[in-house]
Amino acid sequence: MAITLLFAVSALTFGAMNVLGDPLFNILGPIARDTSNPKSVKLIEKAKNDYNLDKPLPIRYGLWVSGFVRGDMGVQFSTDGQPPVTELLKERIPRTVTLLILGQLIAVLVSIPWALISASRADKFVDRLSTATTFMLVALPGFALAIILKYVFAIRLGWFPLTYRALDPLQTRLFQMLLPGFVIGLPAAAIYQRLLRTDLITTLQEDFILMARSKGVSKSRILFKHALRPSMFSFITVVGLTTGALIGGSIVVETVFRIPGIGSTLVEAVLRHDFPVVLAIVMIVATAFVLINLLIDVVYTIIDPRVHR
Amino acid sequence: MGTKERSTQRRRGVAFAATALSLALIAGACSSDSGTGTADTTGGTTGGSTVDTILEEGTPVDGGTLRYGLEADVDGLNPTTSALSAPGYVMGEAVFDTLARVAADGSIVPYLAESFTPSADFKSWTVKLRPGIKFHDGADLNADAVVKAFLAQQSAALVGLAVRPFYPESGAAVKIDDLTVQFNQLDANRYWPSALTSQLGMMPSPLWLDAAAKDPTLNQKPVGTGPFMFDSRTADNVTRFVKNPNYWNGTVHLDAVEFYPVPDSADLLDLFNNDGLDALHTTDQTAIKDLKENGTVTNKLDDTAEESFQMINSQNPPFDDVRVRQALAYATPKAKILELIGLGVSRSADQMFTPEDPYYNPAVKQDADQPEKALPLVAAYCAERGTEINPVLNKPTCTDGKVNMEYQFVGPSVVGLRTTEIFEEGWKVAFNITRDEVNQQDHIQQNALGQSNVLGWRQFGAIDPWADSVWLLCRTVGPISLNWPRYCDPARDTLLLDAQNTDDPAARAKGYQALVQNMHDAYTYIFINHTLWTNSFNANVHGTCDIKSPEGVALKCTIAGESFLNTTWMDQ
Amino acid sequence: MSTEAPTTSEAAAPAPGEAAIKKTLGIGFWICIGWLLVMVFVAVFATRLPIPDPKFNFIKPGQAGPSKGPSAAHWFGTDKDARDVFARTMYGARVSLTVGFIAIAFGMFVGGTLGILAGFFRGWIDRIFSFMFLVLLSFPSLVLAIMLTALLDRKLFTISMILGVLAVAPVGRLARATTMQYADREFVIAARSLGAKNKRIIVRELLPNVAIPMSALALLGMAVAIVAEGGLAFLGLSVERSITWGGMIQLGSDSSKTLQNQPWIAFFPIGVLFLTVFALNFAGDRVRTYFDVKEISL
Repeated sequence: MAITLLFAVSALTFGAMNVLGDPLFNILGPIARDTSNPKSVKLIEKAKNDYNLDKPLPIRYGLWVSGFVRGDMGVQFSTDGQPPVTELLKERIPRTVTLLILGQLIAVLVSIPWALISASRADKFVDRLSTATTFMLVALPGFALAIILKYVFAIRLGWFPLTYRALDPLQTRLFQMLLPGFVIGLPAAAIYQRLLRTDLITTLQEDFILMARSKGVSKSRILFKHALRPSMFSFITVVGLTTGALIGGSIVVETVFRIPGIGSTLVEAVLRHDFPVVLAIVMIVATAFVLINLLIDVVYTIIDPRVHR
Repeated sequence: MGTKERSTQRRRGVAFAATALSLALIAGACSSDSGTGTADTTGGTTGGSTVDTILEEGTPVDGGTLRYGLEADVDGLNPTTSALSAPGYVMGEAVFDTLARVAADGSIVPYLAESFTPSADFKSWTVKLRPGIKFHDGADLNADAVVKAFLAQQSAALVGLAVRPFYPESGAAVKIDDLTVQFNQLDANRYWPSALTSQLGMMPSPLWLDAAAKDPTLNQKPVGTGPFMFDSRTADNVTRFVKNPNYWNGTVHLDAVEFYPVPDSADLLDLFNNDGLDALHTTDQTAIKDLKENGTVTNKLDDTAEESFQMINSQNPPFDDVRVRQALAYATPKAKILELIGLGVSRSADQMFTPEDPYYNPAVKQDADQPEKALPLVAAYCAERGTEINPVLNKPTCTDGKVNMEYQFVGPSVVGLRTTEIFEEGWKVAFNITRDEVNQQDHIQQNALGQSNVLGWRQFGAIDPWADSVWLLCRTVGPISLNWPRYCDPARDTLLLDAQNTDDPAARAKGYQALVQNMHDAYTYIFINHTLWTNSFNANVHGTCDIKSPEGVALKCTIAGESFLNTTWMDQ
Repeated sequence: MSTEAPTTSEAAAPAPGEAAIKKTLGIGFWICIGWLLVMVFVAVFATRLPIPDPKFNFIKPGQAGPSKGPSAAHWFGTDKDARDVFARTMYGARVSLTVGFIAIAFGMFVGGTLGILAGFFRGWIDRIFSFMFLVLLSFPSLVLAIMLTALLDRKLFTISMILGVLAVAPVGRLARATTMQYADREFVIAARSLGAKNKRIIVRELLPNVAIPMSALALLGMAVAIVAEGGLAFLGLSVERSITWGGMIQLGSDSSKTLQNQPWIAFFPIGVLFLTVFALNFAGDRVRTYFDVKEISL
């Protein structure tokens, strides 16, 4: 099933990219039309060979797939010695992955205590304020949040560096990714908080909780030990499923904070009609999505012994 | 990208690495002769080539890493295969030297070369090299290396497009002896050495050229003779060069220089103002305004090179009719553009020369801001030829008494969009405009192939105007055309070729003045402003203007956005 | 509106045997609806309202800088091209609301239909449609939107359709899940045993019940579509030749200097966009609570 999905995604993207125009033109530029000049004609032939452009579409797709599974994602549409797509992505994927992990970490670390506080003081002022805040975080578009946070914390207050610098050591680079991580993580935290809070409130009304209370177990112990665990299933599910949405959010964040990851690369490549790059990134993202879903299913089965198929 | 639309500003959101692979043919062409006219005005911030130096210079100290912000990244730094954009030049000049340089008084002086001597008919020039100069990898700078580099450029598919119109197919560069090369051209040219101050004169190591031919990824790791050597590169983030301890022309003070491409001009300025950068290079008017008002920043400004204009492809209806082109000029809201986009920072342009230039023709003014004059012209045209087809749009040339035109601009871009909207508001009295927003590469491609009606462009930045003839001659019109407007006028060709062959300054001035009048009457260019570049430096950076040739001649501090780092030093 | 009095639900009646839900929509809900109605009114009648021309450059020669702060003449100030920000914000509502509405309408129509069919008929129909949904969901939405805008064009209708396509999968899955829930209910079985054809069952019995959670989703979905359009506009990829909120924000936030010295250019559109999206979110959430639609795992 997963494999079929990946095939479908890649086929769709491959087809779409080829419809977007003449690949030969994208590779060679005006030379592609200069059929009167023998030097140009030679270059055209070479390009056609290198990129298999005179073969029919399904064959080209098949060639691409066979290359992809072997780890060879082709070359960029560039005549100036850009590294092959695989190298390019090897360099850039870790940055996006780090950014996403940071974002999710922040989201989880922020949302759990937040949800606990809200649930334990349900419908009181703190809780109402929280609800309003989550609404606002969700309603604010990602790019607006990025601009505002960058302006306030990096420019005015100077607490965070303005930009990412590839030459810096690892710790510095991680610190440079912290503010972008917040931009990604805060809206996710809002979503997680809302769900977790609802779940917690429901759990807190169950009988076994009331029993524990009547036995004199402290409120915090109840929250942590008894209420949290049942909610973990749906929490983890949501965290996993949101990763896909966060990848989209990383596009905006990567561009606002100038982190050369695959989000910003993808947008540029689409606008440049650089098919191999677009294909490769879309495939990787789709594969990641499928894997995460699988992983969630596995974790689900492990955590909840009640789930038996 | 030397040929982005005027005041290109990449909007925040899409980091647009200017990767005009091949299309850089323009970029290459446009910056292949970046330079000023022969005059140099010092002082006055209203125009010319000026420097505001704020702090006392003091004694140079060694050390420090200069962080230099650029408007775009480059795809490759091989002068024989990569057409260098303006940012590419700044980076290139750190690792490569050119055979000649521009002196402070505007004359051309030998730099890597020792001398240049013309033949009697000025169709050949003999270039003598200096002994003992080595490339970063140990190879010798000798005649073989020079010939190899030149021939590589000439035969390169795209870079060579701007070179080939002027040289014979074979025998353009010939080794005479170990340190002497003879260059042969097709036309007599008394002013040829200015070609050696730009990309054509940049000397790469022959060993590196060979290696890069086999492994194109080496194009990103340049090897030259310059004050800095390649160290490392992370595309779209930072490229690092380190000091060349054996530089042949003086001591290099900086330990290293790092170039940061920041496509969004507002970001670039922000970084600079918040101590993220020590220097920046930009043409964005808002940024320049801010930098000029800053008071603690050294700005090397120059607007004597390129002009920004709206350019009309005169090959197809409706713009093959001069009445339509003239109407477009009249309807252009130039004053609004200068006010809103230019912010009063750059100078209005009427022609390809600045007022300080001896070739400037004071009688020629750009027609604009007179929409009432456009209407009768368009009415006459439409009555006569309104049913022909505009091949770019595949529509009739006129609809409802207005001319149908396609306007192309580079996007996504905030300034590009704002500029387009202002132009449209002005032109719509007589034109129905179909917008065509394309990315940088497509923009250059389609222009080269003649697939647009009107677009914004930048050009005419040659140090000596003979080199600008490549955009104007009949012979460069073709399927892939460097004569972008595809306008051929044999009388103009004569003017150009005569002007590069006379040694009488007065006659030369008259010739170019006549050229300017000819260009005005052809209405293929609607001049807007003189493109203003700045290289700006923080208060802790010094020595940005002290370079001398080996003979002790003071060199021009900045030419059309170029900047040289040989003598730069920083406070520790 | 009192917040305590129970209201009877008059909308599509719940299945026989289910008690009426005793919750109210609350005053907050009605304030949000009020705001949305104001926005709709402005969007529809913008051209007839006595507001300045949004395209006109109010340049006064000799003034320092074309951009001016809020004043009596320009309530939201002017932007860098000396255009009236208030007028532009009002006009921006037209694109944003239209795109949001068409997108979610398309998404609900197509997604809803596919989802109901999948949930009702099951079998291979279900497998195919679910697979389609999954494929669509495998693309991060912004990525898909960018690819499609590059592929097609940037007319108002096209952009709305593209965002609508993005809505199909989530809506479809919800419709499918809800349909599957209801399809096993007694009233459906009863109808079938009475000899009702499939089509009748779908339209008379299922549709009203599925429509309830879907209508809750409509408001929320519209908010998502508007934000997505704003994101596209911010990247410079939204409807061409149109004034959009995202585009205005882009113009007003191109540098920290602009944010510092002329904050009105970005923050008024941000504010209006935010309020609209907030209103949609809040109202949608209230509707969802009112009809007690649980978070159905998608």
